[in-house]
Amino acid sequence: MQRIDLEKYTPLLAGYTELRAQENHVVSIGFLKGSNVRNVQSTTSGICARVYQHGSWGFASSPDFTDESVRQVIKAASANAAFLDGKQNKGKPDLPAKPLRAEHDFSTNKPRLTQKQLIEFTKQVDQYIAEKYPDLASRYVNLNCLDMEKQLLTSDGSHAYSFNPRALISITMTMDKDGNPVELFDVFGSRGQFEDVFNDPADLYKDIDLLYEQLRHKVEGVYAEPGVKDCILDADLGGILAHEAIGHTTEADLVLGGSVAARFMDKQVASPLISLVDFAHHALGELCPMPIFVDDEGTEAEDAVIIDQGILKTYLHSKESALHYGVKPTGNARAWSFSDEPLIRMRNTAILPGKDSLEDMIASIDDGYYLIRPNNGQADTTSEFMFGVVLGYEIKNGKLGRAIFDTTISGVAFDVLQTVTMVSNDMKWSVAGMCGKKQPMPVGMGGPAIKCKVNIGGR
Amino acid sequence: MMEREIISYTLEQLKAKGMDASCSLNQSTKYEMNVETGKITLIRTVFNNGLSLYAIKDNKSGSYSVNKLDRETIDQAIATVVEIAESSEPDPAHAIAEYQPSEVFCAGPRKPDEDLMYTRLEGFLEQVKSRYPKIIVENAYLDFTHQIRFIANTNGTDFTTEKGIYRFTSMFSAHDGDLSSSFNYTGFAAQELDRELLDYGSLDTLLAQSCEQITTQTLSGKFVGDVIITPDCLSDFLSYVFGITIYDGALISGTSVFKDKLGQQVADPRLVIHSRPVSPEVADGYFVTGDGYKAENCTIIDHGVLKTFLLTLYGANKTGLQRAVNNGGCYVIEPGEKSLDEIISQVDRGIIVARYSGGYPSQNGDFSGVAKNSYYIENGKIQYPISETMVSGNLISMLKNIVDISKERVDFGAGIYPWIAFSGVTISGK
Repeated sequence: MQRIDLEKYTPLLAGYTELRAQENHVVSIGFLKGSNVRNVQSTTSGICARVYQHGSWGFASSPDFTDESVRQVIKAASANAAFLDGKQNKGKPDLPAKPLRAEHDFSTNKPRLTQKQLIEFTKQVDQYIAEKYPDLASRYVNLNCLDMEKQLLTSDGSHAYSFNPRALISITMTMDKDGNPVELFDVFGSRGQFEDVFNDPADLYKDIDLLYEQLRHKVEGVYAEPGVKDCILDADLGGILAHEAIGHTTEADLVLGGSVAARFMDKQVASPLISLVDFAHHALGELCPMPIFVDDEGTEAEDAVIIDQGILKTYLHSKESALHYGVKPTGNARAWSFSDEPLIRMRNTAILPGKDSLEDMIASIDDGYYLIRPNNGQADTTSEFMFGVVLGYEIKNGKLGRAIFDTTISGVAFDVLQTVTMVSNDMKWSVAGMCGKKQPMPVGMGGPAIKCKVNIGGR
Repeated sequence: MMEREIISYTLEQLKAKGMDASCSLNQSTKYEMNVETGKITLIRTVFNNGLSLYAIKDNKSGSYSVNKLDRETIDQAIATVVEIAESSEPDPAHAIAEYQPSEVFCAGPRKPDEDLMYTRLEGFLEQVKSRYPKIIVENAYLDFTHQIRFIANTNGTDFTTEKGIYRFTSMFSAHDGDLSSSFNYTGFAAQELDRELLDYGSLDTLLAQSCEQITTQTLSGKFVGDVIITPDCLSDFLSYVFGITIYDGALISGTSVFKDKLGQQVADPRLVIHSRPVSPEVADGYFVTGDGYKAENCTIIDHGVLKTFLLTLYGANKTGLQRAVNNGGCYVIEPGEKSLDEIISQVDRGIIVARYSGGYPSQNGDFSGVAKNSYYIENGKIQYPISETMVSGNLISMLKNIVDISKERVDFGAGIYPWIAFSGVTISGK
């Protein structure tokens, strides 16, 4: 995206206004059973203004970066705010301001690969699978790269630039069992542009071999026995639990909308073994999967310790919700596209590691399940959740048993977290989190494995 | 350049490079009112453009889309799509739509009635407050989107579509002291806002049900019983079933359990499912398919017989099967003969599933998930709302295990659905 001198528009900003220029660039390449079925790029960019007037907001956006379109979006956003303020007359005070300047660029310094080179890389991954595992009924290899670039100016004095890329390769394998397809997928990659994330297709072969082995186990698997069971939720499931079932209930807009967390502040909501943080950009000394240094309202992003040793300590805030609750904004206001307004969103949400080894955790269960990979998740504002599980194993007498077919786990998250008795001493981030809340949003999710009681579906 | 000039220029440039190409240009304006926690908080105006190019040469294809229409961006887009296409692996299945006579399609108003939108939205909030004081409207979005699209290709096809549509969605829950229902949500699309918002779709019904669901009971143990899927929930189930059986991905990969079932009985003979994107009964339809064909209505399941797959041109070429006449969606399910009350009265033991929160079904149709906002039925009567209850079964089997289809249906603007009762589903409590 062209760098724009947003500061020259400062004189046009009357009252509290955010002016944001943004470009999302996507590359997507797919091979289905060896056919190059997907070969796509898209670039979506533009400028937007959001204006606050006594508690009412107006927003407008345009795909053009011209002076005239900037003037138009500011004018249209102001008119929208004025229209609503005239009708609603909320009379709310000004938003909190703490201006800052920041620039965080995670674009690669390496020469960019061409589309042909990206296709060749993806094809090599596909060919490895095809040649080594001819017994697969189907395979799908998909490369997806997302670059989000933002420039922000706020009337209260914040200036920010960010370039946040992510590169992922997802692999799905299908085997036939007695005429029925059995499928398993995994996703590889991380924060960064493709050149900084992937080097050689061969680097993925070990993971591909493991995925195939897991699929073989699953083909010979069994249905889970339904009911409340002792389970170990591995990092990906612990991460989705932290994000979907706890994190969303503590987003201040959902708290105001009646989420269960509204009555839990400073109360024991989980086992004392559980601490849960929405990290802004670094966690335990490492850069997070989706580092946010400044949010889309120009607020410096800070870690939000949601649960500290089992006690609910904070909600996630925008400027407006922080004003409502009389606290500091946490830097959680984020927008997906140039045409979207910032909403309260998580950044990198994780349970903190504990002291137990995974081996000891498995050994401690007589009859239960080790659940490894989710495919989707949804939670209620009551914290009742559901996660699809596509990879898991029985635990019998302290040892891993047969793999299980696709199933679903459910429960009330704040109740489930009270049942946690062990937390593993390692930490893993899920690389491909994409949250949905009016707008999509890339997020980080992660944590250790946790041992808890959870309701598992089955037959 | 004006829109038609851009299209002509782009296609000429691509043709000169030896490409078969299609080009879609759209200009849209969205006007949206947002509600948060029961109050109108934001008005949003979004102007946007789109230029989507698809090019093929020597069986190699690529796509590029961008949302700017200035000359420099267009030239760059042409160069990019050529590079992307030339980079791809050859596949003789790539193709563009053959010539069709030019046509212009229009539906809905060109501009929103902004004052009416505000009045309707405020009226909705006031009516909810007075009729359902325990409801918190967590969020609601009422928008009007107007879009003009120009779709053309190097075979001479040249369509223009213009559409204006109002859309509304809302998420809400009911609260009483420390007790609250699960959230629920619904929405609708309409070409006019000639009624109160509560009178569209299933909005009023679901708000009333949320108030009943503040206090729930859990079921113990598991049993195999009947489930009645509501119209809101049925649209999700239908998307799951068709997604794993009759679209490109499932058929090209060969994983569809319906791959050899065309013309065969796959469902109960009473089940008739149409896809009607160009019917006056569907407000939020479409005129042109994603691969550039004039869309037509079709019947997907006719008295239980699978009549068509939903293959694109590429999918059809790839599988050797027939291209569908539309992209699916806009589903209209024929009503049954019994009322919902009669259907409930015949259930010995089962549940009404009003919202399904579950994992994506396996490719063989197996599913399991949580029955949200749902009710327990015993001896032909609704007993109480339930929570923490899971349902599991197989979607493919369910199609054949239909107990009844209701004569009442709900019109969401983007589809019309009845209640359908299925037998043989596993229901498990805590």
